Amino acid sequence: MSGWGKYIAVALLIAVATHIVAIFSVPNVLMNVALQRLGGGHYNAWRLGDRVTQASRTIVRPAPDFAYSACPYDLGNGPVRIHVTPWSDYWSLSLYANNSDNFYVLDDREAHDGADVLVIRAGSPPPDHETATIVQSPSQRGIALIRRLAPTPDAYAAAAQVSHTDVCAAH
Amino acid sequence: MAGLVLGGASAWAALTLGVTSFSAHYGDWSLNRAAGSTAAGPYTRAIIARYGLLALSSREALYFNLDRDEHGQPLSESCIYDLTGHAIATRWWSVTLYANDSYLARNDDHAASVDATRISAGDDATWRARVSSVQGDSVNWLSSRNARRGFSLTLRVYNPERDFAPSAESLPKLTTVSCASPS
Repeated sequence: MSGWGKYIAVALLIAVATHIVAIFSVPNVLMNVALQRLGGGHYNAWRLGDRVTQASRTIVRPAPDFAYSACPYDLGNGPVRIHVTPWSDYWSLSLYANNSDNFYVLDDREAHDGADVLVIRAGSPPPDHETATIVQSPSQRGIALIRRLAPTPDAYAAAAQVSHTDVCAAH
Repeated sequence: MAGLVLGGASAWAALTLGVTSFSAHYGDWSLNRAAGSTAAGPYTRAIIARYGLLALSSREALYFNLDRDEHGQPLSESCIYDLTGHAIATRWWSVTLYANDSYLARNDDHAASVDATRISAGDDATWRARVSSVQGDSVNWLSSRNARRGFSLTLRVYNPERDFAPSAESLPKLTTVSCASPS
């Protein structure tokens, strides 16, 4: 193979490797950005987002009809307990792994009276005598998100009030 | 160096140009059922992370996107559109307008979305929303003011009923009413 041929072959190999690394790393990189933006470096606590407006620039394509509460979680020190207070209209609890996969969803049709969930690391043994729903997270860190349908300012204010009794805390 | 540039550029192109390639199409709407799914492939996962991070899996919600008019032209603030639809077989739906940066358009019109709880339908159960930079006499309005060119509409379908079958006929239809001539 000539000098140019080797150069082109090496360049193509590097291009393929760069392409693959970029595609696989995009979700993790963006999730890390989201973890920082939603939690400001803090974990295992709910943070109610402001009502979505034109000024909302935390997460792409926010829905202005929802009141969002986010809890970046970290299972490094053990399980995380989540409680969701029920809401009068649609609500859901969704959990996202650090590669952006939505690995768990629970909504008010399945949990009309709210939700109690214990998030543990996949593969770790569940605690004894646990009454909460146990959910295994594929990653140590991730994001829990509550959506409460609240299309008007009044509904958002009511949802904000309800959100005060949500819990996201180390077990 | 050339390899790094080529690899980076091809990844960027895949994420930008591949948005429609990894989607199903229903009329002018596109849908990626793998959004949020743990079974999503690496390209779908990367595209969703870029354009719809923290999307729900299709078990809970479906996200349809529309960014072209019926003539295949990018949606533009200088045009007036009519969006018409019928009842959707789902628990709740909404249509939200996003500027081409994937955030709400920078205006204070408080008209970024219409949804099933607030839309006013006619006697024939058909609803109509105006997509334009000024409200005019429209009752249901999506403001495109400051959305410039290349904005998009996202139809969210939450808890779709078992018999919900997306099609060009069952999803809302966008029609161009007029466009201002370029000055």
